[in-house]
Amino acid sequence: MSKRLKHRLRSVAVVAALLILPQVVQERYFLHIVVMAGIYTIMTMSWNLLAGYSGQLNLGHAAFFGIGAYSSALLAMKLGVSPWFGLLGGGVIAGFFGFLLGFPALRLSGPYLAITTIGFAEILRLVAVNWVDLTRGSLGLSGIPLLTPIRLGSWGMEFYFERDYYYVVLAAVVFTYFCMLRFTHSEFGVSLQALRDDEQGAQSIGIHTSQYKLAVFTISAFFAGMAGGLFAHFTRLVSPDTMSLHVTFDTLTMTMIGGLGTTAGPILGAVLLSLLSEWLRTLEDFFRMDIRLVLYGFLLILTIRFMREGLVGVVRALKEGFSSYGKGRNAGGDHD
Amino acid sequence: MAKAGTPVAIMTEILKIENLTKYFGGLCAVDSVSFSLDEKVIMGLIGPNGAGKTTLVNMISGAIPPNHGRILFNGTDIAGHKAHAINNRGIARTFQVVRIFSKLTALENVMAGLVDRRQKGPWRLAFASLVGGFGKQSQNPENRAAAEGLLELVGIGGYRDELAENLPYALTKRLEIARALATRPKLLLLDEPSSGLNPAELVDQIALIREINKQGITILIIEHVMKVIMDISDRLVVIHYGKKIADGKPEAVYTDPNVVEAYLGGESHAAR
Repeated sequence: MSKRLKHRLRSVAVVAALLILPQVVQERYFLHIVVMAGIYTIMTMSWNLLAGYSGQLNLGHAAFFGIGAYSSALLAMKLGVSPWFGLLGGGVIAGFFGFLLGFPALRLSGPYLAITTIGFAEILRLVAVNWVDLTRGSLGLSGIPLLTPIRLGSWGMEFYFERDYYYVVLAAVVFTYFCMLRFTHSEFGVSLQALRDDEQGAQSIGIHTSQYKLAVFTISAFFAGMAGGLFAHFTRLVSPDTMSLHVTFDTLTMTMIGGLGTTAGPILGAVLLSLLSEWLRTLEDFFRMDIRLVLYGFLLILTIRFMREGLVGVVRALKEGFSSYGKGRNAGGDHD
Repeated sequence: MAKAGTPVAIMTEILKIENLTKYFGGLCAVDSVSFSLDEKVIMGLIGPNGAGKTTLVNMISGAIPPNHGRILFNGTDIAGHKAHAINNRGIARTFQVVRIFSKLTALENVMAGLVDRRQKGPWRLAFASLVGGFGKQSQNPENRAAAEGLLELVGIGGYRDELAENLPYALTKRLEIARALATRPKLLLLDEPSSGLNPAELVDQIALIREINKQGITILIIEHVMKVIMDISDRLVVIHYGKKIADGKPEAVYTDPNVVEAYLGGESHAAR
């Protein structure tokens, strides 16, 4: 019990620190980065449910992000739907596309599924480029409305600045984290992991693997779509680039480096790499190239070679003591 | 067909196989095999390598569909049904090469089997996980106790929190049996439960199979090790090149000239 209490206290401390962060650090540029990191955190958590827990290697995750972004932007711009409902709507529409993408996954696995999902995302990106009447093509949608102010009696909140969006995204991250925690630590999560570890074994104990795949694709896409909606109303610009492969690979890299199939990994990876990549941007002039991608690739290789459970695995190993986990110690040393 | 020496007077047929046939390309792996299986019996299925034993079990468990024939389970034809649906009806199986969930703990492996999947699909489970009591993310305590009980039954209670991939091979075979039992089967198909076990482990395995049978579960067991099969079977079916060549009590089958020639003669596995 006391261990759980300690755990609770730590959670409260973390949440409190996150709540006062924008009051302490008021630099808008920094907050912009943090908000983007939050949006990416939702992406990594949703991808982790699909790839890490269910073993479905979806490399078209950017499509769900883009669908969510376009949907919630267009709902607000063309139909005048409140952006708050638009966020939800973007998630639901993305979820529907996730459900559709689930069907090829019923028959395909491994590299075949990966290639199919890449194709799926590329097709949708091309639709966004070419359906100029709706999406304005490569110009993208600009002037997407801000989130509308909330009023509750005398208390009200408006959404102009990064600081305001910070709280919205923080709430979305906490919500997503809570949902993922529940999904993965339940009979549902155990079933997904069973499906990941051995599909035939899973079927032999009565798991209807097809239904689980459809469900997990839908759920994962819903959260990615919601992240897309947040992105649209925060940056107020959505272009076909939101669906491009590099968004998927950023998500993948962050999740893998943080720790695939772990609860904290996606968060750790998304936050650390977002901050790191901004810092590396300052070095770009010095190296005369996008050093960011070089480092990402390098980190990814290290992760796959030395620490399958990513940074979470390293932290766990450090906690358990140096002696019992040689590989983890080496990999940890490389990064500290 | 009541057998002498069996205390139960009335036998009911739990499984009846009629003319079951499976082709792989031009090869007839199982050729019009028929037999029936009474409730609460341990039946052995033997035959030389490649005789079609595993194919037969794969068809009964729904892993592959048959080309012809019927599989009547409690009177319903389940031939061609999907594996998960057949498990939901009450047939569980283990695999020749274990198919455990390697990144789950032993306990979680069994708990995955305990979920009542006739009632709860993925959407319902996902929803339930979100609205369940706060601070209790893990599965319900009843299931947990049942899973621990099953691990105790197969003798690996001490490994409950160990990842399945870290268990020694002999114990993964036991874990797979516990996981199959977790689905509350009426009929259990065991595909070579003794392969890769040493003599001491073999004795334990035989005792375990007997214990499971005592709980009222009908067992169909594929086995290469003659000591095991002669020891525990109430009845034996022998197949050779996909055809059934003998069917009866172990002692009778053992001396059947057809069987001796096909299976026990020449380079037999009986030497083991």
